[in-house]
Amino acid sequence: MRKKRIGALALASLAALPTLLFTAGCSGEAEIVLRVFNWEEYIDLGGEDSYEYDYEVNEDGSAPPIIEDFEEWYEETYGTPIRVEYSTFGTNEDMYNQLQLGDTYDLLCPSEYMIMKLAAEDYLQPYEESFFDPEIEENYYIRNVSPYIRNMFESNRINKKDADDTSTWSDYAAGYMWGVTGFIYNTSYVQLDDLTDLGWDIMRAPQYKNKVTTKDNVRDSYFVALAICYRDEIEALDRSDPEYGVKLAEIMNRTDDETIKKVEEIMLEMDENIYGYETDTGKADIVNGNIWLNFAWSGDAVYAMDLAEEEDGISLNFFIPEECANLWFDGWVMPKGANTQAAQAFVNFLSRPDNAVRNMYYIGYSGVIAGDPNDEEYGSMVLDYVKDCYAVDPEEAEDPVEYDLSYFFGDESAVFYAEREQAEYRQLHAHYPTEEVTKRCAVMDYYGEEANESINELWSRIKSETLDTWAIVVICVGIVLAVAAVLLIRFGGKIDFFRLPPKKGYRLVRQQNMK
Amino acid sequence: MKLHFSRKLLGIPYAVFLLFFVIIPMLVILFYAFTDKEMHLSFGNFIQFFSDPTKLSTIVYSLVIAFITTAVCLVIAYPVAYILARSKMKKKFVILLLFVTPMWINFVLRINAIRELLGWIGLLGEANYFNTIFGMVYDFLPFMILPLYTTMLKIDESLYEASSDLGAGGFTTFTRITLPLSMPGIASGITMVFLPSMTNYVVSDMLGNSKVTIIGKFIYEYFGTNWHMGSMVALILLIVVFLSTWLTGGFREDETVRGANL
Repeated sequence: MRKKRIGALALASLAALPTLLFTAGCSGEAEIVLRVFNWEEYIDLGGEDSYEYDYEVNEDGSAPPIIEDFEEWYEETYGTPIRVEYSTFGTNEDMYNQLQLGDTYDLLCPSEYMIMKLAAEDYLQPYEESFFDPEIEENYYIRNVSPYIRNMFESNRINKKDADDTSTWSDYAAGYMWGVTGFIYNTSYVQLDDLTDLGWDIMRAPQYKNKVTTKDNVRDSYFVALAICYRDEIEALDRSDPEYGVKLAEIMNRTDDETIKKVEEIMLEMDENIYGYETDTGKADIVNGNIWLNFAWSGDAVYAMDLAEEEDGISLNFFIPEECANLWFDGWVMPKGANTQAAQAFVNFLSRPDNAVRNMYYIGYSGVIAGDPNDEEYGSMVLDYVKDCYAVDPEEAEDPVEYDLSYFFGDESAVFYAEREQAEYRQLHAHYPTEEVTKRCAVMDYYGEEANESINELWSRIKSETLDTWAIVVICVGIVLAVAAVLLIRFGGKIDFFRLPPKKGYRLVRQQNMK
Repeated sequence: MKLHFSRKLLGIPYAVFLLFFVIIPMLVILFYAFTDKEMHLSFGNFIQFFSDPTKLSTIVYSLVIAFITTAVCLVIAYPVAYILARSKMKKKFVILLLFVTPMWINFVLRINAIRELLGWIGLLGEANYFNTIFGMVYDFLPFMILPLYTTMLKIDESLYEASSDLGAGGFTTFTRITLPLSMPGIASGITMVFLPSMTNYVVSDMLGNSKVTIIGKFIYEYFGTNWHMGSMVALILLIVVFLSTWLTGGFREDETVRGANL
């Protein structure tokens, strides 16, 4: 008996041995853990959909996820093993809730207004100075980021609510993806003239009743309504004025009571006219013809147009309204207490042009990385990729136009010929809008706590049907009466008050006595 | 101390589950509902809820949608369950199976299919409230049929024989025997359809193009921006649900009622 027990013990310890060894091995080399929190489907996950480039591929020909490549690269470069804990969120608000619940991360990828909110609430850790030193070989971000994006990040204050805080976006955020908003439209049903005449107001146009959708989120719908509301004022601005952008941004970020009141009326009319609000059904609905116009982010528009090209008999174009569009971006920020060294290395790795192209190809949005003319190995990869996709030979193409992206790439060679269709209405127009288009775009700031609340209340008034007070009272009284009736039927017999008086010659027996 | 094994110990895992996933979350909701942003005790959410016609309207709309859904489900399910339970058909389980199989298919897939169907007919985007109720009826019908079927199956055949011996016609037999004896099934069917149709906003979002706002969506949206108000709405919904369960007799511990629940 005793022997058996010893045997069992020995067996158990033997089984535990590998585990012990394993943990000992790990602690010896001090593996770093990098916790990254990103949007769903917002990074190259490898497999067969990955961009085919001359990097190592698996035996079956599929590519490894970019995160694995990062882990390898990090260990090679810095000599420490790293493990990325990658998790995803669906909306900025979900991400914010996770943070509030006390989850800790090293790197987050929220949208511009959420970055501003996090900065205002003092959640964020600024980037280290060494991150901006172009001399350091691994600093791919600062060398390759587009001058257009860089200028935007350096010239905008991150915390507009606090006058003393002069820090800019670039102190706290490194860009990842960017784009504009507009309409995807079905060319068989929608007249281009209507779009140019009406702009965002096509949302209220009776000829497109039930054929247009907007996003099921308050900020995008509010922006559209603002653009409709102040269209005259925007068009009266002088486009050549150097202050044009500032003035436009002021208009498109108004949240005063009077504006909210006007916007509410417009949004109610939109609500009457539109087909519905969507978060991801819009692309399918426009491809199968349920709707003709779909409010879309540029990356989604590229995806929908690609999808439509595979289907027969449907042709989709992208339109960015003349008066104004929303310029948005998502960027990497580090919460307080993050492992800044590893987080910055991750950002730099994703900013290396070959990786930037991989991500862009995989998720379909436009990255903020342009390239570095001094870098022979990677420098021109992004531009080459764009040219690969869109550039045509002006001799052979039918109706070529010159397309100038030098503002974005900071490079005179970023001018190429493209088909007129592509340049004016299609993928190229959505993917990399021209400087002229970006100039009429405005960034939507974080509204601030108070304005946010009133806009959310406005949204719930738009989304719900509000009954008149008398109707509510009538229905409530009705419900109370119904409840009372049910109670009476169920318990009435047990309560003496409701029982009929006894017939002559009988006497009332109390409920308790009956049992 | 020697530990005696008793059968009560088997209940511990479930008690722990109840504590962590039912009781504590409820207390958290209660806490959030009656505090403000600075975590001070406050009745502000409560007052705001009952003084805002939008929020009250949403509750009323959800109640109406849930009520219609339940009524339609009952009207469809009752005859089906009755026929199935009373028929002498040999293969009636096949028919029952046909009604229940949709429950085995993924919910989102089913709703997407209905969406395509409605789009094809041309109702999508035209009749949002109708579509929502249609989707809910389709989705929750099995939850009404099954409890009705099981209660009706249990009605003793000899009662029907006695009824016809005593000269009762079909209608009298129905009102005096079938209906009263199937009441527990009706009650549990109603609870199982009414409650989810107040909160299942996936149906209203997909089929009503997000233009129909029911109370579940409301709670979801508030939890993106203001947890305190969200908790208050959730608490009020809980009370409504509690009341309606109590009224339909869901808490009675009769043998028959328990048998009728799935």
